[in-house]
Amino acid sequence: MSGLKPDILWSPQHDNKFIICDSEIALYRMDPVAAPAAMTSCHRLSEQTAATLLAINSETPYMKCIAWCPRHDAECLLAVGQANGRVVLTSLGQESHAQVKDLTCKEFIPKHARQCNTLAWNPKDTNLLAAGLDKHRADFSLLVWDVNSKYGVEAAAATAMPQFSAADRGRILLTPEGDLGHIVMKPLAEFGQNDACLSIAWIPHNSRLLLAGMHRNLVTYDLRDTSQKQLFANSKAVQGVAFDPHFNNRFASFVEGQVAIWDYRMSEKPVLTLNEPPRQLSKVAWCPERPGLLATLARDSGVVRLYDMQHTQAPQGDDTEPPIIERSAQPFGSGAVAAFTWIPTSQTRMLALSQARVLCDFTVFERIAFAWGPSPALLWACGRHLYECEEKSGVVGKVSMREQDVAGKMKRRALAGYGLETEIVWKNFQLAGDQDPQLKSLWYTLHYILAGTDFSFPMIKFGTGTLESQLPPVYHGVKILVKSESGKTESCVGAEHSVEVVTYRSEARSLALQLCGWRPCGNDDVDTFLLSLERFNEWERAAAISLFNLKIRLAIQILQKGAASGKGVRKLPRLIPGYTDDRASLWREMCGSLRLQLSNPYLRAVFTFLTSEVGSYDGILNESDMAVRDRVAFACMFLNDNQLFRYLDKLTNEMKESGNLEGILLTGLTQDGIDLMASYVDRTSDVQTASLCMLQVSSFVIEEARVQHWVESYRDLLDAWRLWHKRAAFDIHRSKLDPAARPLQQVFVSCNFCGKSISSGGTATGHQGRSFTQYNVGGSPIKSKVTSCPGCRKPLPRCALCLINMGTAASPNVGEEEDRLSQVQKLSQFNSWFTWCQSCRHGGHAGHMMSWFRREHTECPVSACSCKCMQLDATGSLTSAQLD
Amino acid sequence: MYVAHRVSADHKDLIHDVAYDFHGQRLATCSSDQSVKVWDRNENSEWICTASWKTHCGSVWRVTWAHPEFGQVLASCSSDRTAAIWEEVVGESTDRQRTQSHWVKRTTLVDSRTSVTDVRFGPKHLGLVLAACSADGVIRLYEAPDIMELSQWSLQHELSCRLSCSCISWNPSCFRGHPPMLAVGSDDSSISSGGKVQVFEYNENTRKYGRVETLLMVPEPVHDLAFAPNLGRSCHLLAIASRDVRIIQLKPLRREGVLSQPVSPGRFETQQLAQFDGHGAQVWRVAWNATGTVLASSGDDGCVRLWKANYLGNWKCVGVLKGDGSPVQGDGAGSAQTVPGCANTSGGPITPISGFPILNGNHAIRNRLPCTSPYFLPPDDNLRSASRVNAVPLPVPHPLPPLPHPLPHSAGNRIPSHPEHRITRRMSSNIIWSSHDSANQ
Repeated sequence: MSGLKPDILWSPQHDNKFIICDSEIALYRMDPVAAPAAMTSCHRLSEQTAATLLAINSETPYMKCIAWCPRHDAECLLAVGQANGRVVLTSLGQESHAQVKDLTCKEFIPKHARQCNTLAWNPKDTNLLAAGLDKHRADFSLLVWDVNSKYGVEAAAATAMPQFSAADRGRILLTPEGDLGHIVMKPLAEFGQNDACLSIAWIPHNSRLLLAGMHRNLVTYDLRDTSQKQLFANSKAVQGVAFDPHFNNRFASFVEGQVAIWDYRMSEKPVLTLNEPPRQLSKVAWCPERPGLLATLARDSGVVRLYDMQHTQAPQGDDTEPPIIERSAQPFGSGAVAAFTWIPTSQTRMLALSQARVLCDFTVFERIAFAWGPSPALLWACGRHLYECEEKSGVVGKVSMREQDVAGKMKRRALAGYGLETEIVWKNFQLAGDQDPQLKSLWYTLHYILAGTDFSFPMIKFGTGTLESQLPPVYHGVKILVKSESGKTESCVGAEHSVEVVTYRSEARSLALQLCGWRPCGNDDVDTFLLSLERFNEWERAAAISLFNLKIRLAIQILQKGAASGKGVRKLPRLIPGYTDDRASLWREMCGSLRLQLSNPYLRAVFTFLTSEVGSYDGILNESDMAVRDRVAFACMFLNDNQLFRYLDKLTNEMKESGNLEGILLTGLTQDGIDLMASYVDRTSDVQTASLCMLQVSSFVIEEARVQHWVESYRDLLDAWRLWHKRAAFDIHRSKLDPAARPLQQVFVSCNFCGKSISSGGTATGHQGRSFTQYNVGGSPIKSKVTSCPGCRKPLPRCALCLINMGTAASPNVGEEEDRLSQVQKLSQFNSWFTWCQSCRHGGHAGHMMSWFRREHTECPVSACSCKCMQLDATGSLTSAQLD
Repeated sequence: MYVAHRVSADHKDLIHDVAYDFHGQRLATCSSDQSVKVWDRNENSEWICTASWKTHCGSVWRVTWAHPEFGQVLASCSSDRTAAIWEEVVGESTDRQRTQSHWVKRTTLVDSRTSVTDVRFGPKHLGLVLAACSADGVIRLYEAPDIMELSQWSLQHELSCRLSCSCISWNPSCFRGHPPMLAVGSDDSSISSGGKVQVFEYNENTRKYGRVETLLMVPEPVHDLAFAPNLGRSCHLLAIASRDVRIIQLKPLRREGVLSQPVSPGRFETQQLAQFDGHGAQVWRVAWNATGTVLASSGDDGCVRLWKANYLGNWKCVGVLKGDGSPVQGDGAGSAQTVPGCANTSGGPITPISGFPILNGNHAIRNRLPCTSPYFLPPDDNLRSASRVNAVPLPVPHPLPPLPHPLPHSAGNRIPSHPEHRITRRMSSNIIWSSHDSANQ
C-alpha cells in the first residue's frame, strides 16, 4: 500500500500555494498565465492559470493522512500521519524561523502501532494536534499532541519504552538521525478508549472541544476534562467531520452514499441528509468563500457534486428539509477525479486532480437567469450581480443591417413611418431602409395594384357571392387575372430584324403587364418604364426588357449607354447586332458558350432569348435570379394560355411554399395572398410588413382571422416599444379601412347640472353622440368653442388652475419662463384640451396640469384634495420612446 | 455585436430570476435572500432600485410581471411552498421622484404542499390568470375574477403531471384559433419516467385543460422552457433547456380552409427544429426576444449564448457572452475555435519534472464536458435532425362554415390598453370637477 489516496490541500496562509500528496508531497504555486509560450516549466491549470512546482518532499513514507499547520510563522509545516500511527512534522521549503526548525522532524509516537486515520490542528492553539487512530484493544484512539512538548525519549523512555514492541524500539534506536529529542511519546490528552477514531474536528467556537467521528457515533471530548465523553449522536456517518467555516454550529459528516449535515446545538439527528449515489465518498468540503456550499466527491467518480444549502427557517412542526440546489461539475468529462480542493480566492472555484495526474482549475458557474426586454436588451443575473447587454447596431456597417434581427428592423422601420405612406405606396420600400428585394417587389406590386383599381372588367366573373368577388379585379393577382380571358395570338415582327415571334395579347394580359410594371397605367408603351430603369442604373434589366418587347435596337442602345456610364458590360453591345436567324451559325455557338460565363441573370436571359428556338422559353422562365415580375411579364407576353396557366400555377405554389413576397404579384390580396403572407410570417416573423401590407389596400382581407392576428400582434409590439404615436397612426390608418376596428368611445362627459352629454353640442342632431369619437372629448379649440352645456346652458366646469371654463383655449402657463413659450406653442393643441384625474375627478387644461405636476407638486391642484393624481398610474411615468 | 455592462444588484444571495415588465422600463429580481427588488429606469437609462422587500420565508425562485393593463402586479414563488401576488400602491410616499415605491401583498396562494417552482401570468386576453407549478407535480391555475380586487383569487384548475415540475410557460398566442395552452417541464431525473415536457390545452367543450402532448424526445430533466412570442405565426415554437437546448415546433393540425378552428383540439405535428449542445453541459435557462427570433440560453459553462435562425431556418449561434459580461475570447459567433474539439487529458504532451508524478500541460482542460463532436453542430442536415412525431394523417371531416366576423378581444375592449387613455383602473361615466366657488374670488 503506497500510502494515502491522493489529496490536494490549499495553504492556510497563502492564497496561491497548494500541495498534492500521495506517495510524496509536492508544493506548487498557482500563477496567472503571463506569456503562454514562455511557461515551459509550468503546468497549465486553465486558460488563465498555471502551476509551478516549488518543492517536493519524499522523506515521509507510509503516509496515511496529512494536515497543514495553520500557524502564521510556520509557512509550510505539515503533520503527516503514518500507517504505524506515528505523526511526523515535516516541512516543505526553507524554514527560516528557528522555532519552526525545531518542530520539523518531530515525531509523535503512540503506544501501540496502528494506522493513523486523521489529523487535525487546533485552529486557535496551533500547538495542539489531534490524531485519530484505529482501534487497538483497550488503548486510546484519539490522541492530542502538544507539538511544543519537550517530552523527549529521555523522559518518556523509562515509562513508555517497555510498551513498545521490539521492532518498534529497534527502529527508534536505529533511526539514523536518531536525535531522540525529536521524539514525543506522551500525548497531552487521550480519548476514546476501546474505540476507533475516523475523523476529528476542533469545534470552532471553543478551542478546548473536539468533535470526533468514532466507530458508529459522533462524540464530543473536552480537553479540560479528559475523563468525560459526551455522546453527540449515534450515526453511521462518522467520516470526514467538517465544520462550515461560515456557520460555527453546522458541520457535515459522511458515510458511504450519504452526507449528513448537523447542527451542533441539535444532537441526535442530522438537520439534513444528502443522498448520494451509493459509492464510497472520498472527500466532503465546505466552500471557504461562500456560505452553505458543500462539495462532495465519490471514489472513482468523475463528478464533483455541489450542494448549495439555502438558508431557510425551519417550518414549524414539519420535517421537511430546507431546499438544496444541487449542482455537479465534471472537470475531466468522463474521466475520474482523484481529488479536489476549493480555491479560497474566489467563490465556487476548485482545483481538481484527475487519476491521470492532470490538474485542472475550474469554476462552477452560477446558474444564470435572464430576461429579454422588448427593446432588444438582454439582462441576466450571475450570482449576485446583474448584467445588461444591448445590441449595438450602430457600431457595425451595412452588412449587419441586413443581418440585424427582425425585432430591431421592425422598430427602426416603425420609427421611419414604414407602411403608412398611402399616396405613393412604393415609397414604403424606401422607408423600410435596407434593400430587401422582396419588400421592394411587394411595395411596387401594391403600388401598381392601387394604381389600377379603377380599371374594371365587366365581362370577368370572379367567383360568385363571396366578398372576394366584389373586389376590383386587380386585387386578384396576375394568376387569376389572366385566366379570365384567353389571349389572342399575334404574330409580331421585330421592327429592326426579320424575327418572327408569336406573342399573345388580351385585355387581362395587358393589365397583368401593368401590374408587373412593364406598362404604365392605361398605356401600351414600355419606354417610360425603360427610362426609369435607366435612371436607376439597371442597364441589363432595361436591355432585356426592351429586347423582350422586340426592340433590339433600343436594347443595344441601352447597353451602350450602360457601358458608357461605366456600369454595364462593355463587350456585349457589339455581340447582339450579329444576331442572325440562322440556327447553326457560329454566332449562336459563341453566344451559347458566352452565356454560361455571364453572371447577370438578365444578360443570360438576353442571350437565351436570342439563341433559343422560337416558342421554347424555359431557360428564361426558370431563371430564378430574375425578378418574379419580369418572368411573369415575359410569360404573359410569350406563352399561350395553357402554358401560361401551368407556369403561373407552378410559380405561385413555389412562392407560397417559400413565403416569397414577390409572389404577391401572382396571388394578389386574396386568400392565396394571405396564405403566402402567412408563410412569410412563419419564416421571418415580420408581422409588421404583413399587417401593413394587408391594411394598405383592401378592406376584405382585414376580416380574415390571421390578418387580425397580425395586426394585433403588431400593435402589441408597438405598445411594448412605447411607440404610442406610431401605434396611434397605425390605428387611424387601420380604422380608415376597417371601421370595426375603431375603438369604442371610452369617455363620456356629462354636464354636472342636467346630466346630458356635453358632446351633443357639437353635433347637429343634439342627441347623445354615439357617433362622437374620443378625439373630440373636451372639445378641440377649433371645433367647439362652447363654454356652456348645450343642454341647459349652464357653464361647464373650470380648469382647476386658470379657473376658466372648459372649452376655452389655455393661456400660456402662469409664471412660465419665456423660453418655454416656443414649446408651449408647439403643444398648444394638446395643451388646451381638458384632462382630469380618474380618481378624484379634478382636472383642467392639459398644459396647466402638466406644468403643475412637473413642478414640486404631487397632490391635486384643487385645495383640500390630497389625491396624488400623477402617481396613481405607473404607466404615467412611462415616457414615449420617441416623440414625433 | 453585443456589449454588456454591470448593474450593481445588492442582493445578499444568489439571484434566481429577473423579469422585465411589458415595456422594458421596470425590472424585478428575486433572490435566495428571500427578497424581491423592483428597479426603474431613470432618465439616463440607469437602473434604480425603487423597492426591495422580504417576500417569502425561503428562496424566491421566480418573479413575473402581469400585463400593465392589470396595474403594476407581480407574482413570486418560493421554496416556502407559497406563491404571492404583489401590487404597487402609490400615494404613500411624499417624494415626488418616486425613489421608493410601496408594494402590498394582495394574496398568498398556499395550496401547494411543496416548493412552488414557477409562476407565470397568462396572456392578457385570458384575463388575469396565473399558473403556478410545484415540486409535487401539480399545476394550479388561479384566476382573479375581478381585476379590481386582487386579493380574490380562485383556484380554477388543478392539473397533475405526476412528475416534479420545474418550469411552466404559457403559449402567448392571441390568435383565436389557438386555445389557451401551456407547457410544463419536469426536473425528474430518472430517464424511465418518460418525456419531461407536457403540453396542456384548454378544451372549450369540457371546459378543462387536458394533456395534449408529451414530448418523448426530451427524456432528461428539464430546467426551463419558453414558448416564443407568437407574432402571427401559425405554429408555436417551444425552447427547452435540458441537457442541451432544443427548439421544438408545435404545429396545430387543422383542415385547409377553416383556419380559425383546429380540426380536433390537441392534434399537433411536433418537429424538433434544432438541438444545440453548445453549452457542453446542463442548460439552465432559455428565453426568447420580443419577436421570437433570437433565443438566449445559459448553461453550466457560465456563458450566455444567443441563437438565431438564418433565412433557411437553420439555427446558429450568433453570440456568446460570459456570465460576467466579458466576451468570450475569439469573439462571439466565432467561438467555435476557442474550444478545442476534445479535452482529452491523458493523451496530451507529458512533461515529467524531477520524478514527480506527471502533470499534464494540456491547456485544453476546461470546465466543460469534452466535446467529441465539433463544438457547434454542423449546420443544415445534421442540425435539423428533424424528427416528425405525431404526424397522424387525419380524416378530413365535413367542412364547417367559416366563423362569423372575428370579435375583438373582449379583454382588450373592457380595459383600453393604451396608457394615454387609461389613467387608473377606476373609470366611471361621470366626472365632477372643481366646482368649488372659486369663481367668486
